[in-house]
Amino acid sequence: MGAPGRAVGLGEGILIALDAIWANKLRSFLTVIGNVVAVSSIILVVTILQGVNAEVTKIFTAEGADIFNIKRVGIVFSHEEALAMRSRPRLTRDDARFLRSEATRFAALVESANGNGRVEYGNEAIGRVTIEGRSWEWALLDGTGLRAGRYFSPLETDRARPVTVIGLDTADNLFPGQDPASAIGRRIRIQSLHFEVVGVLETRGSSFGFSRDEFVVIPIRMFERMFGTRRSLSFSVKPHGPDVVEEAMDEARLLMRIRHRLRPADEDDFAISDSSTFLDLYNQFTAGIFAALVGIVAMALVVGGIVIMNIMLMVVTERTREIGIRKAVGATYQQILWQFLVEAVTLSVFGGIMGITFGYAAAAGIASFTPLPFVLAAWSVVAALVTVIGVGIVFGIYPASRAAKLDPITALGHE
Amino acid sequence: MNDRPPEKPADDSELVIKIRGLKKIYDMGRVKVEALAGVDLDIAANEFLAVMGPSGSGKSTLMNLLGCLDTPTEGTYSLRGTEVSKLDDNELAAVRNREIGFIFQTFNLLPRATAFHNVELPLIYAGMSSRDRKKKALHALDIVGLGDRSDHRPSELSGGQRQRVAIARALVNDPTILLADEPTGNLDSKTSLEVMQLFIRLHDAGQTVIVVTHEHDIALYAHRVVTFLDGLIVRDERQTPKRLDTAAVPG
Repeated sequence: MGAPGRAVGLGEGILIALDAIWANKLRSFLTVIGNVVAVSSIILVVTILQGVNAEVTKIFTAEGADIFNIKRVGIVFSHEEALAMRSRPRLTRDDARFLRSEATRFAALVESANGNGRVEYGNEAIGRVTIEGRSWEWALLDGTGLRAGRYFSPLETDRARPVTVIGLDTADNLFPGQDPASAIGRRIRIQSLHFEVVGVLETRGSSFGFSRDEFVVIPIRMFERMFGTRRSLSFSVKPHGPDVVEEAMDEARLLMRIRHRLRPADEDDFAISDSSTFLDLYNQFTAGIFAALVGIVAMALVVGGIVIMNIMLMVVTERTREIGIRKAVGATYQQILWQFLVEAVTLSVFGGIMGITFGYAAAAGIASFTPLPFVLAAWSVVAALVTVIGVGIVFGIYPASRAAKLDPITALGHE
Repeated sequence: MNDRPPEKPADDSELVIKIRGLKKIYDMGRVKVEALAGVDLDIAANEFLAVMGPSGSGKSTLMNLLGCLDTPTEGTYSLRGTEVSKLDDNELAAVRNREIGFIFQTFNLLPRATAFHNVELPLIYAGMSSRDRKKKALHALDIVGLGDRSDHRPSELSGGQRQRVAIARALVNDPTILLADEPTGNLDSKTSLEVMQLFIRLHDAGQTVIVVTHEHDIALYAHRVVTFLDGLIVRDERQTPKRLDTAAVPG
């Protein structure tokens, strides 16, 4: 007597299951709604988060991964923290001078401050344009590049010359229908003051669908004349190389503490951050979303699994006679177990595939109505399929073993 | 009261079935029901045996035990020299698959499967390749005269045709015994004759056939009739079987 094998092949088992699903279309659909919900929410949320991730990473790493910032206040999580930081000293041009002269690992330090105001040329006017005050070193750190013209020089920074480098949209808006390069040499008005356009920047691209090319960059000393020196500067530092970023950040912190005459027990009264600081924070945030998602999905899957188990128990009762026939002609415990397990898994995967389709369609729909990019992560599809196979096995094993344990005589007598 | 067979029992080597002191007791809680009360029975190869008796006489219990659907409470049952009364469930399944061909009163075909798939079923559980299955299943359907109906579902076949599909399924794995339980119980008299004619042909070709029935005219076709009453064999007689009209009997 040969060893009882798994004679009903996987393909055959799946065919039997598909036949049964097709024979009870509505019931099968209702059975797997839990799986559909769970899987489509996995696909939907993962796809949207992937899109947001891509955008956020683009923003945070735009100025270069090895550049770090020194600011008066960093990321604030509460009102109390914000109040505590109000007493911090401003960062000034003298701080910048001190850092430039003392630091050994800085390749360049850019002083910067931002405001906004009105920009005009002839009859064209744009309100609330971002006005970026920068020291000349900005030319070294700028990752965007020039479309036309030049950056401003050290001399123009120090002497507060009325020169400006403008964004591509600003050029388009001030000189509609003309080549942006033709803006070079024109005199525009920023907050009613005359500036000579010396450069036009390439596009900075868009984030979340909004253009980032509506701005003018002016020398920081000019910015201070226009907006006063009461607001704090921030510094962007490019270290000598990507391998000395940590040391350069330590050095910046040490020098700032000396400059602010802090004692060892005092806390920093400034904030140093690099792109990873924000990315870490963002990743913590998305990890929270993922954790919540996993919880919801797990719940939907347990509910879905219990429904599948229930239906499979019903199927076993409905097909008791069939099981009796199969046993009478020689099906073993394992063969019947396998058949009904394959059927439960097929049912579960059927729901999973519907969920993937729905989730994919919903994500594609959202992507077409919003500026989010559409990124379907292959791993989310694989994870969804593995999960529904697992659900099918876990919740199918009990009904299948009930079927396999049926006594053939009783089963044959069943009407 | 317990008549022994009038002829001397066949030599052990020719015996397909050898049963000694077979008992089946159902424990119904307070009451114990003795369905078989100690049965001895020898069946030789190529016998055509009818098992008769009223309801509750123990013939169905014997049928379940012979077919390895159940195990006895006491006694021994040797099938082709293998002691099957002590086998576990999986071993019994293998015996049912290879040694027994079941035919039921209600046909017991899978309703959603074609005639071909129904016949092929035992071969699937035997682990046969799909090419060999196809050859054997179509051959079995040819034997019962339904070679051209292989893609029909049971609902598309008459009662007699359904029973012939069931017979093809029983034959397909070349079983040691064909075990038929009231095979004509759901058929009209004309179709019953056709089915009995098929049994006669199979028997003439060397098949061992056991038919459980309560109909005397069905038992007339057998070479030997064993009668049960209250869990015991009360009569075991050989007879000259009734043959169908000459035109129906294969040469």
